[in-house]
Amino acid sequence: MTSLIPMVRRIIAARVDDAALAEDLVQETLTRVLAAASRVETGMLEPYAIVTARNVIASLWREQDRHRRNQHRVVDLCPSDAPDADLLAREEQEAVSLALSRLSDRERRLLLAHEVTGQDTRSLAGELGSTAGAVAAQLNRSRARLRVEYLLALDRTEPPTERCRPVLLALSGGDRRRQREVDAGRHLLECDVCARLSEPLLARGQNRDGEVCIPIRSDGDIVAARQAARELASRLGFSRTDLTLIATAVSEVARNIVRFAGSGEVVVSLLERPRRGVHVVARDTGPGIADVEQAMVDGYSTYSGLGLGLPGARRLMDEFAVASEIGRGTTVTMTKWRDQR
Amino acid sequence: MTGGPKLVSILRQGAYLIASVHTALDDSQMVRFRDDLVEQIGRHRSRGVIIDVAALDVLDSFGARTLRTIGELARLRGAVTVIVGIQPDVAFAIVSLGMSTGSLVTALDLEEGLALLDHGVGAGRSTLPDRRRPRR
Ligand SMILES: [Zn+2]
Repeated sequence: MTSLIPMVRRIIAARVDDAALAEDLVQETLTRVLAAASRVETGMLEPYAIVTARNVIASLWREQDRHRRNQHRVVDLCPSDAPDADLLAREEQEAVSLALSRLSDRERRLLLAHEVTGQDTRSLAGELGSTAGAVAAQLNRSRARLRVEYLLALDRTEPPTERCRPVLLALSGGDRRRQREVDAGRHLLECDVCARLSEPLLARGQNRDGEVCIPIRSDGDIVAARQAARELASRLGFSRTDLTLIATAVSEVARNIVRFAGSGEVVVSLLERPRRGVHVVARDTGPGIADVEQAMVDGYSTYSGLGLGLPGARRLMDEFAVASEIGRGTTVTMTKWRDQR
Repeated sequence: MTGGPKLVSILRQGAYLIASVHTALDDSQMVRFRDDLVEQIGRHRSRGVIIDVAALDVLDSFGARTLRTIGELARLRGAVTVIVGIQPDVAFAIVSLGMSTGSLVTALDLEEGLALLDHGVGAGRSTLPDRRRPRR
């Protein structure tokens, strides 16, 4: 981000003579880029900053132009040239200010000093009597919060539940442990607002190595899930037999979703700690299982003759757990270790 | 099965039907395969059926159960079914799942399957042969 500042200055200085005005535009550009950084792919920030700088200047020119034309009129009867573009820019700007206002003074000062003024973490740490590492961590948290507040402000939404902000924050910060703690995956299935808002937050983390998420809605998704699980697990060098056990177990839990809940998702991830292994979470927002103990007994089933799903999957994996709540859904968690202790 | 490459082929060879599954089937495709096959057994008055599943990398409870159902439906229509080509790791998974394979007659490959049918499979093997059961 800081490396963008000289470039943005150059672009704007080449087009705007007034030094004070140019500096305002630089700040505005950087604030917009900062706010949008979450939606921009890594490596694409520079082109994005260029486009933003030019748009900021263009909208200034439009503004001046309109002002000049309107000086001749008593009443302006014409709609502005590009009402949508202007409106969007204004909304985005308002969202940024609103988001910034929701940070604490300390957070805001730190963030702006670093991102906009370009002060590095070491010198900030010196001023604050802290360490560069602590400042960097604080900056990450603040950025994550800013992204969440920006999206909420842009959407003009107040999150519907108490759990929303913690979930969005965990997603925004890419903090996997925290995401598990707040059960972010389940909340996203239950909460429409967060599901919608988190898209840009998640888009950043997509294609993360060592994790795949397969939405489960139909028979075909069962096959997709087990194939994805096999492919991912093969990266850890599991034996062919183990890969087949994993794929078969995933097939069983995915089918459980289709049969009982209608839809849900299967998330497969590779574990490094405490040992190497593959971790599978299958969750749905279906009716839930009234008696999990009973469901784990062979042959038990509430649908025609397929009682092997969960108990079968348990036998194929090393660790297996079912959590279910009536009316809220079911989460099956299972693990296969690559290295036996 | 319509459109795209064939998922399954069913060929008639004398009194036998030879069905080959070419790729992973989802549940509905598996059910359609079952119905097609059982229908053809009736139409051709087949005495024996071989189902080659060598291309399947997973036979979960639904897949294994469907094969068992095919075997039972075929038997009721006077045909004997032999499953051939179950991969060793797939066999291991079926056993680990706790599936009962009691009524499934299996053979190593097509040739052995045909030999079983020719000798009237009544006395054929009714479980996964020992030599195909992989060791962990
Ligand atoms: Zn929410």
